[in-house]
Amino acid sequence: MKTLQSVTLSLAFSSALLLISGAANAANEWGIEGEEKARFQAKVVDIACELTGNCPDNCGDGKRQLGLLRDDGTLLLVMKNFDTFAGGVNDLIGFCGKQVEVDGLLITTLHMPVFAVQFKRAPEGKWSRANQFSKDWSAANGQKAAQWFRNDPTVIETIKAKGVFGVPGLEPEAE
Amino acid sequence: MIKSILGAFAAVMIALSSASPVAAAPQRISVTGEIIDTWCYVTEIMYALGTAHHQCAVWCAVGGIPVSILGEDGNVYVVLRLEEEDTNVANPTVIQIQTHQVTVDGDFYERDGVKYLFVTQVKDDQGVVNLNHEDYGIQPFGE
Repeated sequence: MKTLQSVTLSLAFSSALLLISGAANAANEWGIEGEEKARFQAKVVDIACELTGNCPDNCGDGKRQLGLLRDDGTLLLVMKNFDTFAGGVNDLIGFCGKQVEVDGLLITTLHMPVFAVQFKRAPEGKWSRANQFSKDWSAANGQKAAQWFRNDPTVIETIKAKGVFGVPGLEPEAE
Repeated sequence: MIKSILGAFAAVMIALSSASPVAAAPQRISVTGEIIDTWCYVTEIMYALGTAHHQCAVWCAVGGIPVSILGEDGNVYVVLRLEEEDTNVANPTVIQIQTHQVTVDGDFYERDGVKYLFVTQVKDDQGVVNLNHEDYGIQPFGE
């Protein structure tokens, strides 16, 4: 089992390499068992729509999980982007119903295949890092997003109400 | 006459093929299990169950990562609907029941190796019952 710290270190190292090389379109390994670098083109779809036919406008305007529908008909669940603790919807919603080229990690786990998008672009367009969540969070909250998960108002309110363990009144032992 | 009928038929077929995806019939199932953060659990990047991982599960849900139910059968069911709420990215209701032990009825779909669940009814919510923080601490970071 890989630790988050090792993944974070790997991410930081890879990011540094990217900045040096300027090759902002190559997926970074995260050291997760079953991961495989993958770059491909696919159509961005609302997964609930794809499964049920219940299809709001614009793939749900960022409120629905998105998938990548590949040319062979395979539907791939996008679970993660380049930001810490964030999904890929903010990065892909602009491509709803359109083709996108993605670069990231296709991870085959014991439970399901998932995709972590690290870079994206319109076909033949310019690559950009898949970190739209932190950009949007920063713009909405007026602060840097490096520790967004500790500073987010919803997180703060939820943890304040229920504690870090999710059980009101149950607190970590003081050291 | 036959040409016009065939033409109309072709037009209908073209219209149908460009409309919303054709939905397959779901299977109605009942699932009992823990509400989990899908990413941390399925990738095993850290211990990702119970009170030890509750805070991180909230972070990930707020961050828009899909939420699932880890069923007693060992299956991971990605939740795409919760009763009347059909949004599934940072859904406020789902955030509030992270780590809870629940029993739900729902419409089940399986596609390309992923199990999806559209919850029609939460039949039981026992709250957080998997008290494992003394064994695993706070995942990750220890605080």
